[in-house]
This record gives sequence, C-alpha cells and structure tokens, in this order.
Amino acid sequence: MTNSRVLEATGLKKSFGDIHAVRGVSFHISVGETYGLLGPNGAGKTTSISMVSGLLQRDGGEVLLDGQSMTTTSLGPKQDIGLVPQDLAIYPDLTARENLRFFGHLYSMPKAELVKRVDEVLEVVGLADRANDRASEYSGGMKRRLNIGIGLLHRPKLLVLDEPTVGVDPQSRNAILESVEHLSSEGMAVLYTTHYMEEAERLCTRVGIIDQGEIKAEGTRRELVELVGQQDRIRITATGVQESALDELRRLSGVHSVSPSDGSLELLVADAGAVLPEAMRVLGSQHAGVSSVSVEEPDLEAVFLHLTGKALRD
Amino acid sequence: MSKILSIARVNLLRFLRDRSTVFFVFVLPIGIVMLIGAQFGGDFSPQLGVASGGGTVADDIVARLDAEESIKLVEYESEDELLIAVERGRLSAGVSVPAGMDEQLAAGSPASVGFISRPDGVGPQLQVVVSEAVAGAAEQIMATRFAVGKGADPSAAATAAAAVAPTIPDLNVETIVAGESLFPASLGRFDIGASSQLVLFMFLTGLTGSAALIQSRQLGMTTRMAGTPTSIRTILAGEALGRFVIVLVQGLYIMLATILIFQVNWGNPLGAAATLIAFSAVGAGAAMLFGSVFRNDQQAGGVAIVAGIGLAALGGSMLPVELFSDSLVRIARFAPHYWANEAFAELVRRDATVVDILPQLGVMFGFAVILMAIASWRMRQVITRV
Repeated sequence: MTNSRVLEATGLKKSFGDIHAVRGVSFHISVGETYGLLGPNGAGKTTSISMVSGLLQRDGGEVLLDGQSMTTTSLGPKQDIGLVPQDLAIYPDLTARENLRFFGHLYSMPKAELVKRVDEVLEVVGLADRANDRASEYSGGMKRRLNIGIGLLHRPKLLVLDEPTVGVDPQSRNAILESVEHLSSEGMAVLYTTHYMEEAERLCTRVGIIDQGEIKAEGTRRELVELVGQQDRIRITATGVQESALDELRRLSGVHSVSPSDGSLELLVADAGAVLPEAMRVLGSQHAGVSSVSVEEPDLEAVFLHLTGKALRD
Repeated sequence: MSKILSIARVNLLRFLRDRSTVFFVFVLPIGIVMLIGAQFGGDFSPQLGVASGGGTVADDIVARLDAEESIKLVEYESEDELLIAVERGRLSAGVSVPAGMDEQLAAGSPASVGFISRPDGVGPQLQVVVSEAVAGAAEQIMATRFAVGKGADPSAAATAAAAVAPTIPDLNVETIVAGESLFPASLGRFDIGASSQLVLFMFLTGLTGSAALIQSRQLGMTTRMAGTPTSIRTILAGEALGRFVIVLVQGLYIMLATILIFQVNWGNPLGAAATLIAFSAVGAGAAMLFGSVFRNDQQAGGVAIVAGIGLAALGGSMLPVELFSDSLVRIARFAPHYWANEAFAELVRRDATVVDILPQLGVMFGFAVILMAIASWRMRQVITRV
C-alpha cells in the first residue's frame, strides 16, 4: 500500500503570528484516490495544500511526494503536482492556448508534446472552440475550466484542486465534477478541498474533516458516519403490518430499531442499502400494503456538526 | 534560460496588448519631442525680431532685412521686449539697432548692432543674414564719408554714395559672440528634446509597467509559477527581463522614430546603444521595486507618475542641467536620469565615444543593481510569504 502512495503529509504546522492556521495535519493519498479536505472557510485547507504544493514554508511536519521531500525550493517534486488554486490564476489578456503554452514551458514540456497536449487539454476542459479567444472574454465557468486545464497540462501524478467550484454556475460545476471523476478513474491522485459537503460525498474516496487547523476525523463517508454513531433512517408507509412482521424486521441483520406509528414504520439501520431489500421482502411475505418508502442517509454535514458542533457554512 | 525567456515574452506580449500602450508609449513621446523641437526651432520660416532706435542707417538695415523673403520680420518697441520674445521662443533671433547710430557714424565712431538668438541651428543662419544686411548698409556709409571727406555736401554725398557704393571694396563686419554658448550651434532643434524625453519616457514606462507585475501577483500568477518546477530566481529573472525588454522597446522606439522623423543626431551609435541598455536596466530595476513593494496597481500608478516626472525633472529631462545651480546639480546626481542625460549630452553635443561615457554607464548599472537587489529580496518574501 505504501508504495502506491503518491502523497504523504505528516504533522503539518503553520502559524501566522499568533494565529495557528494548521496544527499537525496528516493525511495520505494513493494512486487513483480522490481525497477530500472538507471544512468551512478558514479551517486551514488552503494553508495545508500550499504547504503540500511547496508554495508555503511550513513550520513543522513533512511532505513526501512520490517519496521525494517537498519544500518551497525543491523543483523535482513540483513536476509531479498540478496545482489548481482557488482564485483564478490565468492571464486574462492571453488566450487559453497561450496560457496553456506558457505553463507548458514552465513545466519544461518538449515543444511537439506541448502542442499536442494543449489541444488535448482544451478538449478535456471544453474550450477547444474558444482556444484563441482571450481569457478576459470568457464566462466565469470557462475561466474556471481553463484554471483547471493548466493544472492538468503536464499529466501530474497528483492534482491539487482548491475549491474549484466556488462561484461557478451549476452547468460548469457539473462539468468540473465530471472531469475530476474522469481523471480519478484514469488513475490520477486528487487532493480536493471544498466546503460543499455534496461535492466531497460525490467525488472523494476518503474525506478528512478539517476545522481550526486540525483533522478532526478521516475515512470513507461510511466510516465517518459510523465513527460518530449516525444511522440510516428508512421510512415505510404501509397498511396491514402485523406484530409478527415487526418482530421479523427487528431480527434482520443491521437493524437497530423499528418504530411503528400511525400507518408507517421507521427503521434505524446501519446500511439502508443492505437492509431495505430484506425489509421489503419481510413486509411482502406478511401481506403488508406498502405505499411509499423513503431513505435518509446521514451526510457529512451531520458528521461535521457532530464533530465540531457547528455547520459547514458557519 | 528558456523559462526566463518565456516569462519575459509573456510580459512583452501583455504590454503590447494593452490599449493604453499605443498612446502613452508610441504617440505621446513623439508628440512631446515634436513640441519641444518647435519650441527650440520654430518653423521653416524663422521669425526675426528687430528693435530699431531710428535713423537713416537703422531704417536701411531694417529695410534690407525686411526684403529677405526667407524670414519673417517682427518689429519691437524696445530691446527688452525683443530679448523676452527670444528667450521665450517666440522668435528665433533678434536684432537691436541702437538710437543715434547716424550721428555716431557721421562722427567717425564705430557703432554696434546687437544680435541674440536661441541655442539651435537657426540662430547662426539668421546671423549670416543680419551680417549681410549690416554690411550692405555700411557700404553706403563708407561711400558718404568718402564724399564728405572730399568737401561734398553731406546730403548730396549720401545720394551719390548710393550710386557709387557698389564700387567701394567690401567692408569687414566683425561678429563678436557675447557670453558662453550652452549648446553647440550644430545642435539640431530636436536633439535636446529627443534625448531628455527618451530618458523620461523610458523610466516612466518602466514604472507604470510595474502595474502588470502587481496584477500578476494579484492574479496569483506569480505564486502559480512558483508552484511549477521553476525556481524563484528564474521567475524573478524572467520578470526582470520582461521589464527590461519593455523599457528597451520604449527607448528604441523613440530613438528610431526621432531619427526617421526628425533626423535627430544620437551621437556615437555604440555609445547610444550602451546608454540605452544601461538605462533600460535602471528602468527595469525601478519597475521590479515598485512591483514588489506596492499592494495594488492604482497605488503604484500614482506614485509612479510622481516619481517618474519628479526624478526626470531633477535629472535634467525637463530643463537642461546646464541651467541648474551647482548645489542642485549635486542633488541631481542622485537621480539616475542625470547620468543618462549626461551620457547623451556627451555623445550628442561633445562627440563622445562609449569609452568617454564609461563613468555614466557605470553609475547607471550601479543604480540598476541596487534597485534589482532590493526588489528581488522583497519579491522573494512576497512569493514565499515567509
């Protein structure tokens, strides 16, 4: 497992005067994995990835990128990172193609490869037909996509995306999320910071909940939910539910409780996806008339609330 | 090296794409050089002022000057008014014919005709015209004196003198230059303005160009560059080279345009090129310093205008340092413009070579190194946020 690790960050610390922005943050990312740093504004996400990317000198800790130590002066590891900063970092008075070519030169890409790769990236980010227009003429979403395209250009081992969908229209946002999913499926390791819970749930293999400069918890969504003792909730509206059916439901694996009320049942379960088919089978065999089913899975918002005592957007 | 060139190339590209560049970099400098040239040289039909004290000889001189088709004659009531008009550039030159000249000459005493001109190439040409007019009038005076000396009636002698004047040998009119000329007579009307404005605009373009560097920082481009396998030293070198090229382009443009349009003499080509390069380095250093110190381009732009024009004035780009007091000249040496203007003065007015201006070049490169060192230190801090 260790050999497949693209990034290993251990005990990162950074203070700005009296403000301790990051206090011992550790996480790792493997090949093909999308790791999310989920936390509100000011939680220490950008400071953490600035240290990971070698942009910010850290006060403590270690960053290993593909086994090489990353510092502000180390150039080798920077070749393996594609950084997509939160604020748009593109030249508005250059075209998309010129912006990409400029950064291609900074990554020392051979000329022939650069020409080919620029065309490929323009296709990936959907800007091929506007490649020769100045970036200042683009919509906000197009600028965001160009911002991401620059990070992809040199085929990095680790793509670092710092809140890439902030201020983006829903259509462009979806396009960006699809691109990240596609890159991850191709084996690229992705470090994704966001304060949008739904993005972290959709994209990330594992999530680190970060607040006040510390990782409060880390794991898959399921692991995090279980960590804080949250359960899935299944609501079934049904008629003719006998006591024997309720007993049988209570005996199902993964069911914590069954609460009948007027014309409906509420089941608290570990995994709704696993329990629901069994529950339906039981009700069917007991001749209950099911008219509707709804499932509520505890989300990362609830986990965050549990861990920090506040909502993500506080 | 290719990364440095890439960063510099992008800087130049962005500079040339800025619409305000067309006016401020390409139109304005040439317009100002033209304006200053007009101040120094007037038009193609130079105006000659004359303040006459009256009398036969004076009227004769004025009539002879008035008959010259190549000049416009403007009469003034007093010599003081004439002097002011020449000093303020309303006239290319002036002639002062004193009162009582007839009596002085009749008594056999010498009489003086005053001539003042502006320090450009037109003055000496007008001086020749005035000398000829005075010499023409003098021929008849000599003929009249000759007849009176033989016992003839003065008025009849004067009439007869007009007839015999052509037979009298040419009179030698001696021209005495009063005071020391600030500029050589060979200096073209655009020569002074071109070099001083070149220095002013090169520096100003450098400073205002620092806004692009600040924008790069604000856009996060400088930080993003630092996130690539590009050392901070390379980024700084690229940015500095970009500023250098921009300032050099400004200087080269003014130099070439003034040669083509106004036939400006820039002196020894090697010396002029060396001065251009040295001052481009100064401009680039100043631009890097401004770009690293100021937080936003509005702030930098305001200070840039004040600093650019202030240092230009102090360094002799508004008024030649030859007109400065000694103490002001000592202060002016702290402005890099002074050394650039001095270098061009040596090249253009005193036919110096690159060897002669080595001290000026050395001081300019010294300015550039100091400015660049401070800017690099500051910029490194900004990029790494240490």
